[in-house]
This record gives sequence, C-alpha cells and structure tokens, in this order.
Amino acid sequence: MLIPPINCSLLLPRAVKIAAVSCLLYTVGCHSRTFCFRLINQKKEYKVDLVFTTELYNPEEGKEHLGKCSARVFFRNEKPRPAINITCTRLIEKKTRQEEDYQLYKYMKQLKNLLDVVSIPDSHGHIDPSLRPIWDLAFLGSSYVMWEKTTQFLHYYMAQLSSVKQWKTNEDAIDFDYTVLLHEFSTQEMIPCHIHLVWYPGKPLKVKYHCQELQTPEEASGTEEASAVAPTELSNF
Amino acid sequence: MQGLLILSVLLGAVLGKEDFVGHQVLRISAADEAQVQMVKELEDLEHLQLDFWRGPAQPGSPIDVRVPFPSIQAVKVFLEAHGLRYTIMIEDVQSLLDDEQEQMLASRSWARSTNTFNYATYHTLEEIYDFMDLLAAEHPQLVSKLQIGSSYEGRPIYVLKFSTGGNNRPAIWIDTGIHSREWVTQASGVWFAKKITQDYGQDPAFTAILDNMDIFLEIVTNPDGFAFTHSKNRMWRKTRSLTSGSTCIGVDPNRNWDAGFGKAGASSNPCSETYHGKFANSEVEVKSIVDFVKDHRNIKAFISIHSYSQLLLYPFGYKRESPADKDELDQVAKSAVEALTSLYGTKFKYGSIITTIYQASGGTIDWTYNQGIKYSFTFELRDTGRYGFLLPASQIIPTAQETWLALLTIMEHTLNHPY
Repeated sequence: MLIPPINCSLLLPRAVKIAAVSCLLYTVGCHSRTFCFRLINQKKEYKVDLVFTTELYNPEEGKEHLGKCSARVFFRNEKPRPAINITCTRLIEKKTRQEEDYQLYKYMKQLKNLLDVVSIPDSHGHIDPSLRPIWDLAFLGSSYVMWEKTTQFLHYYMAQLSSVKQWKTNEDAIDFDYTVLLHEFSTQEMIPCHIHLVWYPGKPLKVKYHCQELQTPEEASGTEEASAVAPTELSNF
Repeated sequence: MQGLLILSVLLGAVLGKEDFVGHQVLRISAADEAQVQMVKELEDLEHLQLDFWRGPAQPGSPIDVRVPFPSIQAVKVFLEAHGLRYTIMIEDVQSLLDDEQEQMLASRSWARSTNTFNYATYHTLEEIYDFMDLLAAEHPQLVSKLQIGSSYEGRPIYVLKFSTGGNNRPAIWIDTGIHSREWVTQASGVWFAKKITQDYGQDPAFTAILDNMDIFLEIVTNPDGFAFTHSKNRMWRKTRSLTSGSTCIGVDPNRNWDAGFGKAGASSNPCSETYHGKFANSEVEVKSIVDFVKDHRNIKAFISIHSYSQLLLYPFGYKRESPADKDELDQVAKSAVEALTSLYGTKFKYGSIITTIYQASGGTIDWTYNQGIKYSFTFELRDTGRYGFLLPASQIIPTAQETWLALLTIMEHTLNHPY
C-alpha cells in the first residue's frame, strides 16, 4: 500500500486551525485524536500549544501506527504563515519512510494520460484508486499553500483537485502543475489556486503557486509580511 | 473524459444515426513545431473524417483524435512514417459507449418504490421529488407532501409531514440542504424520511414520539441551489436569486433570517458566500419557512442540518450573550452527541454557534429560538475536512444512521419536556 509523504496538520482540531507544520511529516495521516492547547498572551501575538497524535494516511489492516507530536504555533500581528516549532516521536523510521517514498515515486513515474484528470474527488466524493496518489501529492502541495495563507482567522481545507495542467516525469523529478479549490472556513469561500510542485524523494519539495485572492475590505496593499520570519526550508523531501 | 465522449458521440449518434464500431481514439504527441504542423495537415484531409477532441496546438500538448474505422490504417501509417508517437486511448469507441449507457441506466433507474430506492448514492432534485411522491403514496395514513412555497426560479418547495392524527399537534421541524453543496444533508434527509416510516409502529420510543407529535421534514430547502450543484457548479452554496446592482448571484440563506440581520457575521458584498441579502427574509426559500412556522404556532423543536465539521450547535450565532436555556440546551446537545458517537465512534463537538464555529448573523436557529422554539439546534455532519462537501457516497448511510440517533434524543427530550 502506497503511503505518501504528507504535510501534516491539515485536519487539526477546529479550535486551532493551522495550515501546515514546518517539519513535513512522512507517512502520517492527520487525524488528531487528542489535543490540548492553551492561549498565551492573546494580544498582538497569538500562540497556541498543541499536542496531537497522528496516524498513517492510508492505514493497512492491523498496521495502525500512532505518532505523537507537540507543537507551538505562533501568529504575529494577525499575519499569515505562522511560525511553528514541532517535535514528533514514534513516527515510522526514516529508512522505511524513504523506501516507501521511493515506491510511490516509481508508481507515479509510470502514470500516463493525466491531463484529462478533472475533479478529484468527483461530485459524489469518489476517487479512482489508481489516481489516489495524485490526489495525495496535490494535497501535499496544497498544504504548503494553506500554511502560508493561514491566520488566526482564516483556515483552509483542500476541497478538490480541479485539474491537472501538467504531469512531467521524463526528467528525474515529478513535475506536477495543477489547480485546486481551497475552502476557507470562516468566509466559506472557494478559492482556486494554481500550484506547481516539483518532487523527488530525498530532495526538498519545491512549490510555487498563485491563488485568486479573497476580496476583503481590509486588504492591505503592498508587501504582505508573514508571521514566520525566516522562510522555512521544506527539508526531508 | 467519459462525459466528453458521451456528449460528442451521442450527439452524433442521435443526429446522424452513426455507430462507432471499430472507431479508435488516438493520442498523438507532437514533439516539435514541425510535427504539430504535420498533424494539422492530417486535419485537412476531409475524406478521413477525423474528429479532433483535442486539436493540434503546441508541442508537448496531447492531440486526441477519433478515427473512424475505415481511416485507421491510413492514419497509423501516416503517423508512423513521420515519426509521430501515439497511443491508443480507446480501442473501440462503440463498446465503450455501450458500457457507459448500461452504467447510466443502471444508476439512474427510477425507483419503483422506496424499497428499491438507492439510499447509498447521491440523487438529483427530480429523483428526490419522485421519492417523496413514492413515500407519500406508500404511506398515505402517515405521510403527506405539502408545498410551502416556490423557489426564486419557480421550483416547488416541499415539506413532508409525518402525522398520526390530532389537530395541529406540537411538532418537530427538520430541514436539510439549505446550503446546496452540503449533499450529505439532503441525502440524509431522504434516509430519515424512509426511517420514519419504517420505525413507526416498530420502535416503541419512536412510536411514542409520533403518537404525540408531528414531524415536518424539508429535504431540499434550497432547490435552485441544489439543481445548480448538479448542472453547473458542485460547490454552489447560496440561493440563485439575482441582486440588482450586482452581477453576482445568490444570497446565503443562513444569513437571511431576522435575527441580528446584517450585523457582524455576514457579508454585505453580493459576491460573497455569506451575503445576507438586501433585507431579512428577502429570499423566498427563507420566507416560506418563516410563514409556515408563524402560521403553525406549535413547533417545539427546530433542527437545521448542514455539513461539514461534525458539530451540534445551539444559539446564538449573532451575539455572545447566552440563551436563557443555555444549560438545558447544552445538556441535550451532550446527550445527543453521546448517542451519535455510540454508533460508529464519530466524534462531534457541541456548543453555541458563536463559541464553537464562528460569529454568524441572520442565522436560522437564532430566529427560531427568538420565536420561542426552545429546542433549536444546528448540526454540521461529516466529515472534518478530508473530503468536506465531497463526502463519498459510501458514507451517506452511516452518517444518516448516527445522526438519526442524535435526532431521536432531541425529539424524545422535546416530548418529555412540553412547554
């Protein structure tokens, strides 16, 4: 069973809607089972402490594996892209993760005819099993985007992979250009985003994107600073 | 892709009585501009009767073409001679069409009875309306279909009434599908309707409820929106009313009620998903329910069902102040959630709208509570974001089953605590 690398935290408890954790966790499915948090200094800074468990994204029968993570999430001045410190224990060991990544990579390399892929899942929530890894990879790229856009007040889910613009595997890396719909919860808006990611197991993931922006009356012009100061390196990929 | 096939080919079949036996669809990759040109030359050869689904554009873009049987040899020879790589996407168009027809007929078969109706799939508006008629016909003593109004685009708005007699008994109201993209809710509503007819007379607790109270169930609360999610945009949420002065369509029916209308927690921008409308009850879909509730005067519990997030909520959404009955509502919610979770372990949170989800003004249950309907609740059904609105059909029945247990808890409490 293919277990894709996944940027976790998308399905974290509603009380704290955080887009992505900066240390992208391999082979974790993100259903938080337990959590607790406390607010510290709820003024210009907004910090949340979280404890949560993780499970395999596509768990096999009898092979449940729960990892445990604790994280501190930090928004400054209501800006997006929170700074996150996270540590996890009991994750699947690195060697296994790398092997499984490589299997996934090999599977993806031989996929063809993806340009006619639209709407995954379809209206009825169905995903063709052979296309499931594509959705997973799209989700991975989307979680980076969602992390960058998340604020204390705005949080996102990936609603649908709406189309595949490009799927190139002739070079070493998987070059994946696609559009998604992101569902922003507090405004209930559906936001189309165009995402381009390049993935090779063991190398840093590269993500470029452009989303149609929400029209908010308070939208400031000029450069948007983020809460996280230094750009986070997406290592482990 | 399948859809494109059906459309283009069926049109051809209908208009020209063609068949497509032996036709193949080839995908050609043109590596450079010269090759693209070659394919364009092929396009010009009319006698080949080629049907380009995706025409030659630039190098790297796939070119898809349906080739009639008599031309297949010639085309392949041409491609091979010019070094144009291609794959066969469809070996035989006709056999694919035949399969597709079969599938479509199988899944769209009009149910002859509510026993053969497929509850584990999502349905169109017509199918749901058909179901309602079937159910009412099968249980004329218990079920009747009422029309409480017409939608903006002129579709009838129906409510199913479940009653064992009496005269204007205290009643429970349940609505689903007020936000059209929340498909698991309408699907659950259909299941609830059937469940009611099955359990009355069989399950003692439920029988006691229906022996003393009526149930009103509005399955498709926003029919225009629902039709639109099928025809054009699966993610449509609002009504389909036109707003003068704007090109944007639709009002959020859960911001249009007369409770804190227009205050923080709704948008005044017609293009927004939470646009509250020009004035409270501007939407006929909302006004119809308002009129019904006011005329009835004896509704004791009001439950409005949404997805997703897995929450059970009580008022208020528009203000922080707690409702007078907060403690009781919280207790009922707690029990209802426990009942729900007992079935499949699905976790729900509960609380007031404003503390649990977000500030929302002009919401349904804030209005109904202010009208004196104490047991006013909103559900947000499965899931918590993995599939969101696109919940797999395989989860419809489990969702409906677990939700029903929560509804029973609320209904029982309402029965046992008359006011």
